[in-house]
Amino acid sequence: MPKTKTTPDDGSRPSPHLPTGATAVRVALSSLVVLTWTAGASAQWAPVPDPNVPRDAEGNVVLDAPPPRTAAGTPDLSGLWMRTRSGPPPENGGGGGGGGQLEPAQAPVPLDPNGPPIAAFFEAGQNIEGGLPYTPWAKELRDQRFALRARDNPDAQCMPMGFLQFHQQPQPRMIIQTEKLILIEYEANYGLRHIYLDGRELPPQGEPQPWWYGYSVGRWDGDDLVVETNNLRGADEDSPYDGWMDVNGSPYTRQAKFTERFRRPTFGHLQIDLTLEDPKAYTKPWTVRIDQRLLPDQELIEFVCNENQQFERRIKLNQEPASEPSSTP
Amino acid sequence: MNRQAHPNSSRRGIRGVMKTGALTSIAAAAVAASLPLAAHHSFSAEFDASKEIKATGAVTKLDWQNPHGWIHLTVTEICERAAAGRGPDAVEQEWACRAPDSNEGAADWAFELGSPNGLMRQGWTRNSLKQGDVVTVLGSRARDGSTNSNARSVTTADGKRLFAGSSQDATP
Repeated sequence: MPKTKTTPDDGSRPSPHLPTGATAVRVALSSLVVLTWTAGASAQWAPVPDPNVPRDAEGNVVLDAPPPRTAAGTPDLSGLWMRTRSGPPPENGGGGGGGGQLEPAQAPVPLDPNGPPIAAFFEAGQNIEGGLPYTPWAKELRDQRFALRARDNPDAQCMPMGFLQFHQQPQPRMIIQTEKLILIEYEANYGLRHIYLDGRELPPQGEPQPWWYGYSVGRWDGDDLVVETNNLRGADEDSPYDGWMDVNGSPYTRQAKFTERFRRPTFGHLQIDLTLEDPKAYTKPWTVRIDQRLLPDQELIEFVCNENQQFERRIKLNQEPASEPSSTP
Repeated sequence: MNRQAHPNSSRRGIRGVMKTGALTSIAAAAVAASLPLAAHHSFSAEFDASKEIKATGAVTKLDWQNPHGWIHLTVTEICERAAAGRGPDAVEQEWACRAPDSNEGAADWAFELGSPNGLMRQGWTRNSLKQGDVVTVLGSRARDGSTNSNARSVTTADGKRLFAGSSQDATP
């Protein structure tokens, strides 16, 4: 059977992702507005009412109630969280949440004008003025990945993603907080992070050896949980699937140090400010914000990614790569 | 022309063949097609967002599997068009419809869905469609010109529309 040879982009959005920007965000948001969310009522994974959440007289969860606290007095971040919209979208097309997410139509999280730029799913720096401060090495790598339509993105390979992609994945994540340890279980690809709260120091970079999830140490700074992570596998020395900040391929390297500030302003809202310091990939540190909304009474659902993973077979990995994209976001 | 077994066909026998139609019980009408559901595989490495497809046919099988479900059809009509693109200058094109040609054949057109976890949150179950149900699937064709496509929505003969959990808008 004759196979149609793939022709490079013919006026459509360049691969691997359509250019971001005001238009795409508007389209996504308008879709959200017209969304009628009715599936939940008949979803087959039955909600289990949580007796420990604040409810009004009608039994609805009071999402703007104060956050729960542990016996030690710190905020308790535990819960099932879904990436949510942060808005409103400014004139330049930022905000939004970059690529949309699975969510019923509802008001976006209020935008803090003094906060860092809102992260975007496909292009991490979409809302950063001037984009991400790539070094020439990182820019070249990012463009190579983009030209290959992001086929090596770890998500496409059922592998652990970079933290920023994990935080924005439109599958929820469960935070389980104990006194000395916090677990973050990402439904996507069964990601699992351990964050040590027992007062230990962050190890030196390079000791222990790099891991997919690195080595994470947390401490409380007032009501903020500050999590520092280093010793990550990176785009510079490990596999083609390592060191992806976003879908389009912005890299991080073994020099990366992440600082994430988690806070829970209200019962139903989690905010994560993520800072990356990585002098090999970026000329200066940069920070973006990810907002999450609580999914009360819901649970993670199993996702065993490798069950019938046929992606590489279907895309015929030895096919010629895509042409260089004509524009970059 | 003999066609090879579909690459996504389960090697473990027919799994997920629908037993009972439960679609009408699924209240998922009017779900916006552009909302991503289960983000996963590299959409753009596999599919071409510029080539839209609308196919109507009878369900032969629903593969309820990770990382993506697949719906298999014996198609009676294929409609194609260039995507309108996005933005104020976007122009919606007319569909060009035809019967499947002799190279393509009618059997075993396959459309990628989201993953079972995401589909469940949208109200699907593995019994949402039954063999023989006539549906119309809207999506994007594969870059390799095969009869694989990515589904954005599935509409049944009675007009119910299920959001298919396209990986288009939320994945690599």
